[in-house]
Amino acid sequence: MEYQHDVEINGEGKYLNICKHNGLCKKEKDSKDDTDSNKLSHIEKAYTTILGELGEDVDREGLLRTPLRAAKAMQFFTKGYKETTQDILNDAIFDENHDEMVIVKDIDLFSLCEHHLVPFFGKAHIAYLPNKKVVGLSKLARIVEIYSRRLQVQERLTKQIASAISEALEPAGVAVVIEAAHMCMVMRGVQKINASTVTSVMLGTFQDNPTTRKEFLELTLRK
Amino acid sequence: MEHSKQTQFSSSDKKDAGASSVVNGHCDGMLKRAAGGSSQPPAAESGSQRPVMESWREDRTRSVEDNEMSLPSLAAAYTTILRGLGEDPQRQGLLKTPWRAATAMQFFTKGYQEKIIDVLNDAIFDEDHDEMVIVKDIDMFSMCEHHLVPIFGRVHIGYLPNKRVLGLSKLARIVEIYSRRLQVQERLTKQIAVAITEALQPTGVGVVIEATHMCMVMRGVQKMNSKTVTSTMLGVFREDPKTRDEFLTLIRS
Repeated sequence: MEYQHDVEINGEGKYLNICKHNGLCKKEKDSKDDTDSNKLSHIEKAYTTILGELGEDVDREGLLRTPLRAAKAMQFFTKGYKETTQDILNDAIFDENHDEMVIVKDIDLFSLCEHHLVPFFGKAHIAYLPNKKVVGLSKLARIVEIYSRRLQVQERLTKQIASAISEALEPAGVAVVIEAAHMCMVMRGVQKINASTVTSVMLGTFQDNPTTRKEFLELTLRK
Repeated sequence: MEHSKQTQFSSSDKKDAGASSVVNGHCDGMLKRAAGGSSQPPAAESGSQRPVMESWREDRTRSVEDNEMSLPSLAAAYTTILRGLGEDPQRQGLLKTPWRAATAMQFFTKGYQEKIIDVLNDAIFDEDHDEMVIVKDIDMFSMCEHHLVPIFGRVHIGYLPNKRVLGLSKLARIVEIYSRRLQVQERLTKQIAVAITEALQPTGVGVVIEATHMCMVMRGVQKMNSKTVTSTMLGVFREDPKTRDEFLTLIRS
């Protein structure tokens, strides 16, 4: 399955072409449609158990349909598993004689921590140096959506976004910076409300040339 | 007159407390352990006859031992969820996730393990002070009972003491007890106000909560910047517009 392969290889820290498995995913997707409702009911039952074990009364009015709502919400939060970059990017790559930096910043990002199943959210800033090919701007935000709507680790998320853009456009350089607040740190555990985590990936010219990197950081992070 | 006003004020809260403890379920310790069938009707009846101090003597519906005993089935439920979402629970990042998620969820609902009376008993002092006391910008984290997704925001509390004042951090502790549950923001606001009323019998209490609901931000209508504001005004905060105005101005500043 696409996600599994993706993740196994990710464990080794290699950049990979997620799109390779596109055909397989589509075929599997069709046959999985009737088992999707099965999965939903399994998740729903699991949530009913959870509510009971937490000491709540599952039959009270406010909680009657909560297992179903929570299951659907969780499926929405992980809808990125069913999407691939090839699906959304194919039409929106254009030939353009532009080789200056293109930045899309302050892209709101919402993901789920894979360790605690608790949200983390923040902003992603993406920049690339086109090499004869530019991409529709909203597609950068859609790439963020695909990878963030999964059970994630912020480091891996940053890298996946960068490598997806790198493979689709073959630009001279890609830079991705994510700053996020992790509810698993804010709401529980060490409970530090104002802490935010920043991760970045610099590829190509952004990695080799400090001036390029500095220009990106200044344009992006200046308040 | 003062006394009768107060009695009137507290008896209406008694009804409120009775009503809210039935709806919230967990306020009435009987619900989980009821002998047979749904216990809501009997609870409703007994709620209205309950003495004023009841909500802060409510039983816990969960204990620390319960937590340990529930952990395996909670973890199994989370493993089912991971599988249902299409993930591989055996991969390295997810190996201990069911246990971590179960413990996290127990932490987010630890309000069920705590009683107001335990937290407040020692910190009520006799003080000849009758001016407004406000504790504002109390960070609050709760869980939406409809989607099991976090709610977070700030709580502002004000009260007019009537010879008795409360240790200031206890106001924040009351917020913690009620917010660390599966909640609806309207009910949370009222529960905090009622608990303070019952503990101190003040001349008035005002509670304002402004919060962001992740169920609205991360999914559904997806409005990033929206905030929900609810308030409960009791006693002189409700009856006297000038007092209310003063409170609202001071929490804005």
